[in-house]
Amino acid sequence: MGKKIVSFGILIALLLVTILYSAATGSIKVGLIELAQGLIWGGNESVEVVRDLRLPRLFVAMLAGAALAVSGVLLQAVMRNPLADAGVIGISSGAGLVSLLMVTIFPALYFWMPLFSFLGGALACFLVYSLSWRSGLSPLRLILVGVAVNATFTGLGQSFNYRGSYAVTSVNQAISSIFTLKTWSDVEIMALYGGIGLVLAMLMGPWCNMLVLQDKTAKSLGIPVTKARLIVSAIAVLLASVATAVGGLIAFVGLLVPHIARLFIGSDQKLLLPFSALGGAWLILAADTLGRTLLAPTEIPASIVMTVIGGPFLIIMLRRSERVHGH
Amino acid sequence: MCMDIKAITYSHDNRSTHLSDVSAYIQEGAITTIIGPNGCGKSTLLGIMSQHYRPQSGRVLLDGKELSLLKPRELAQKLAVVHQQQEAPGDTTVEKLVRFGRMPYRRLWRTDNDEDEVAVEWALHAAGIDHKRSSILAHLSGGERQRAWIAMALAQRTQLLFLDEPTTYLDLYHQLELLELVRTLNRESGLTIVMVLHDMNQAIRYSDHIIIMKEGRIVGEGTPKSVMTEEMILNTYQVKVAVKSDAQSGLYMVPVGL
Repeated sequence: MGKKIVSFGILIALLLVTILYSAATGSIKVGLIELAQGLIWGGNESVEVVRDLRLPRLFVAMLAGAALAVSGVLLQAVMRNPLADAGVIGISSGAGLVSLLMVTIFPALYFWMPLFSFLGGALACFLVYSLSWRSGLSPLRLILVGVAVNATFTGLGQSFNYRGSYAVTSVNQAISSIFTLKTWSDVEIMALYGGIGLVLAMLMGPWCNMLVLQDKTAKSLGIPVTKARLIVSAIAVLLASVATAVGGLIAFVGLLVPHIARLFIGSDQKLLLPFSALGGAWLILAADTLGRTLLAPTEIPASIVMTVIGGPFLIIMLRRSERVHGH
Repeated sequence: MCMDIKAITYSHDNRSTHLSDVSAYIQEGAITTIIGPNGCGKSTLLGIMSQHYRPQSGRVLLDGKELSLLKPRELAQKLAVVHQQQEAPGDTTVEKLVRFGRMPYRRLWRTDNDEDEVAVEWALHAAGIDHKRSSILAHLSGGERQRAWIAMALAQRTQLLFLDEPTTYLDLYHQLELLELVRTLNRESGLTIVMVLHDMNQAIRYSDHIIIMKEGRIVGEGTPKSVMTEEMILNTYQVKVAVKSDAQSGLYMVPVGL
């Protein structure tokens, strides 16, 4: 138990340090004291720029990271599959595609984008379930079907994007993940839907602990398995969709964070869920901060940083998968 | 607590019939064993009796109440099942697993109360696994792991305990150890037990009542002595056996040819 408390403590400290560093660093540099004073009393122009441009970006990055990581934990529990991740099995690209279509056709409905996103994610999730269900979920079949669904939605999204220059500018941010130009209204959307999703997810710990056992075991313990699976999946889709709608497509977070979290905190979902939320928030914030400071003034999108880190990490993880707890 | 199984017909896929017109009665306080060749529907019947499958026709009554009308949680307070080949995350400790057995009494996120503690302690002790309570499942032997799963089922504090082939993959010593445990649970804690077994001599030795199945039907039912006859085994398994009895072994059978 001591190790787990220390792990939480270190992660929270790491997150706080990264927040402070990220807030102070960038094309406009402000000292932390200057920043605090400017935020409280106002009157400092560069602090106002930071407040309007950099802080929303920080919050969106953290919330998107937390949402994606938690969505990964939920999907892995509900599908009893260590490789389940919103990015891998097509939920994110489904969410991206549908919100892309809707926003292009009905630009006035921008505020409802998270809803369209959710519908797209739910569609992808439903497809993956129904196409891979054959008297039970085979882990391999589920991943293969998920990869196919993901490829289909990604392809559709890209072909739509190449359709004409008119669409590209207005719509690009829905499918790529650049956290620039995030405003406080993005933070509001993200905090509202993402917050609801995260709170609900934290309540799902005991059910998730049951779902990682087999269905037969969970049923015998009085768990309404079908209902639990449906609710937990819906929360996972909500989290992944909101993250995609506001933050764009980011791969690997839902895969990497829960796996590393398990090494520190074990497989008890009641601890794994909050730990992964913090871990995801830190990872995306760190990736975004790295992306905008490494080659400044050029920016590398967080999604690309994540892909570069995530690929090799996935290989390392698979190499030592004997020592990683399967689910 | 008794169970009445009435005219059950069931199919997994609506093409072939897996159980046809199965009726049986599970007596309170007894050990009932279901035996039969592979694919005869033993485990399927156990699944019907624990509401894992819903029959196409027929009813299962638990103390006169329709099983399908019970909520999952209510059922889990009356009936516990030890399934074949159960899995849990590798870092689960025995004690944590046994605490899962308290789920039927728990609302989301409520912490354990005294009753839970008493039940968990009793279950660990009754299954003879309390000395391994802090070990993780991956480090246990096959026999210990099976007893940990039984302890989880016991923590549900049910009157009915079902075991689906509990001795599979265990060596002879641990098979007998497990069956002795089942008998003790029945005699001392008053649990009504239904299990599926493969070994006929173990079924004879440890059962009060035996149900013999073949091709989705019950072909024989009664005390070991009354049903385990040479003729019955030949008809069910297509194996010739010699049924013997002596003072030291009691009733037993030896296969003598096909």
